[in-house]
Amino acid sequence: MDGFVLTLWLVRLLFLLALYAFLFMVARVLLRDLRAASRGPAELGRLVVVAAPRGEPPAGSSFPLDAVTTLGRDVNNTIVVDDPFASSDHAVLTFRGRAWYVEDLESTNGTYVNGVPVERVAPLGFGDELQVGEVRFRVDRGRA
Amino acid sequence: MSAVVQARPRNVTRFRIRPRPRPTELMLLALVALALLIGGASLGATQRFREAVNEGATLDALDFAPPDPRGLLVYLGALLLVHALFVLAGRRTDQVLLPAAGLLGGIGLLLMQRLPQGLVSQSFFGTELLLGQLQLFWLLIALTILTLLALVVRSDAWLRTYKYTWAAAGIALLLATFVFGSDVNGARLTLSIGPLSGQPSELLKVILVVFLAGYLSENRSLLADESTQIGPIRLPPIPYLAPMVAMVAVALSIVVVQRDLGAALLYFAVFLALLYVATGRLSYVLGGLALFLVGSVVLYNLFGHVQQRVDNWLDPFADPRGVGFQTIQALYAFGRGGLLGVGLGNGLPTIGGRLPIPAVHTDYPLAALGEELGLIGLLAILGLYLVVVQRGLRIAAGARDDFRGLLAAGLALVVGVQAFIIAAGNLKLIPLTGITLPFISYGGSSLLANAVVIGLLLALSDRGPEPPAVPTTRRRRLPGLRRRDA
Repeated sequence: MDGFVLTLWLVRLLFLLALYAFLFMVARVLLRDLRAASRGPAELGRLVVVAAPRGEPPAGSSFPLDAVTTLGRDVNNTIVVDDPFASSDHAVLTFRGRAWYVEDLESTNGTYVNGVPVERVAPLGFGDELQVGEVRFRVDRGRA
Repeated sequence: MSAVVQARPRNVTRFRIRPRPRPTELMLLALVALALLIGGASLGATQRFREAVNEGATLDALDFAPPDPRGLLVYLGALLLVHALFVLAGRRTDQVLLPAAGLLGGIGLLLMQRLPQGLVSQSFFGTELLLGQLQLFWLLIALTILTLLALVVRSDAWLRTYKYTWAAAGIALLLATFVFGSDVNGARLTLSIGPLSGQPSELLKVILVVFLAGYLSENRSLLADESTQIGPIRLPPIPYLAPMVAMVAVALSIVVVQRDLGAALLYFAVFLALLYVATGRLSYVLGGLALFLVGSVVLYNLFGHVQQRVDNWLDPFADPRGVGFQTIQALYAFGRGGLLGVGLGNGLPTIGGRLPIPAVHTDYPLAALGEELGLIGLLAILGLYLVVVQRGLRIAAGARDDFRGLLAAGLALVVGVQAFIIAAGNLKLIPLTGITLPFISYGGSSLLANAVVIGLLLALSDRGPEPPAVPTTRRRRLPGLRRRDA
């Protein structure tokens, strides 16, 4: 009889042990995931071309963003928007604190966020749509 | 007759199955199966041993078959099938959520198979299903919904675009419950349609998160600035604050009138958490907590049942045979469990043939688990909830845009906060409010709502198609290019 009790006790503990074995393996997976995430190149954000009527830059291409990214037709910009409706120095994206801002550099045709014209500076969230000339971009999170 | 060979239209792409192995998920699921089989063996053997001892008979050998081996195997098979479907679909989604939720569901299934089967019975099309079988039935439906959502949902536009429609539908559902619902335990929470009955407040928690995520992601920058000033308080522009506050207020007031205090607490906590996630401003949280305190005092003075709950929390021993009975029995159960627990199947002595905790399968599963698995087991279960929350927040951190991020964070927090509220209620840390323990408690609505949560989280965690492989062949040097002035 006592042997049975002892066996039951062991099986009971084995169940608890199995629960912790599961948690341990999960913790290992999570740790690996977090390590991989912190190792990857840190990008502040990404600008994805949603639509470009003239095909330059091609739709679908994406640009990693620095803390200051300039957009315009001039070749000295970070992202050259080769579009007749874009000014040579059109707009600048800045990452200040924890958020993105877009500043319109008094361009001829204006800069639009989700279809609304930007007056000087406007905050920008991930997923927002940005229009420079006829080219439309989407602001995405940086890739891990 | 001319034989015209119909060319395949060029724009029709063939549906191709590209399987993608998910080794982490498979490994974790194997551990889940192992744990549940050991748990089932422990439960079955203990039950048979106790029976024999009670009858004064002697056993020749211990029989380690689980109490309902077929049910357990069906559940494990279903988990494996879901895994296989995920592999076939080939989406790069999270691999930890399914095993974690599956283990919690399995522990719930074991508990339901262990409790007296007559606690709940329901007949579907002539066959009478008892507690353990019913829980299995709901678990299988929940897994189906989870799989469908995880495989089918690719775009979030249908959630994002129709957020007001969703909110209106949720409120309408609650109102319908209020008007047509039936009373259970003095609270009108259940809506019955034909043979099915459900608690819409469980589903509303998901709808509320969808609405808040959509609204906050759209108006986030506006909510972060403070243009309205009322006395010393600076608030965001009122027109942008009003719809959200109105929606939350409507949901809260209906729920409070329905006496579903647990749901009210859950909604409010999730609202504050999401507001904080979206704006990053602690002042909103502090203001919300102040509002919560004021609201609690008002409710305490307004409603008799709130007073009863709070008084019972402060001193359950004032009425040990009446209102305080369940609370006290739960405390004793935790105490009997101690560090390692008494073992599955060994706890819950019945008093006069009746369970000491009548609502053990819905409101108090943690008390039963605390008694049979002890502190160590409880910590493991709480750890599993923590894993679910961590995965959700991790998915939120890696989300493509604000809506998906807020949605993932909200869905994870709704599960975490709900588990906290009911666990704290069971342990007499806060007044008990009757909500379910996610994935473990008995009940179709609860299981289905949480399946929706996990399914959506899995869909949101999709990391998109694999990046093209790095070319392995070395590039040839361009011919004929030589600097002339060198």
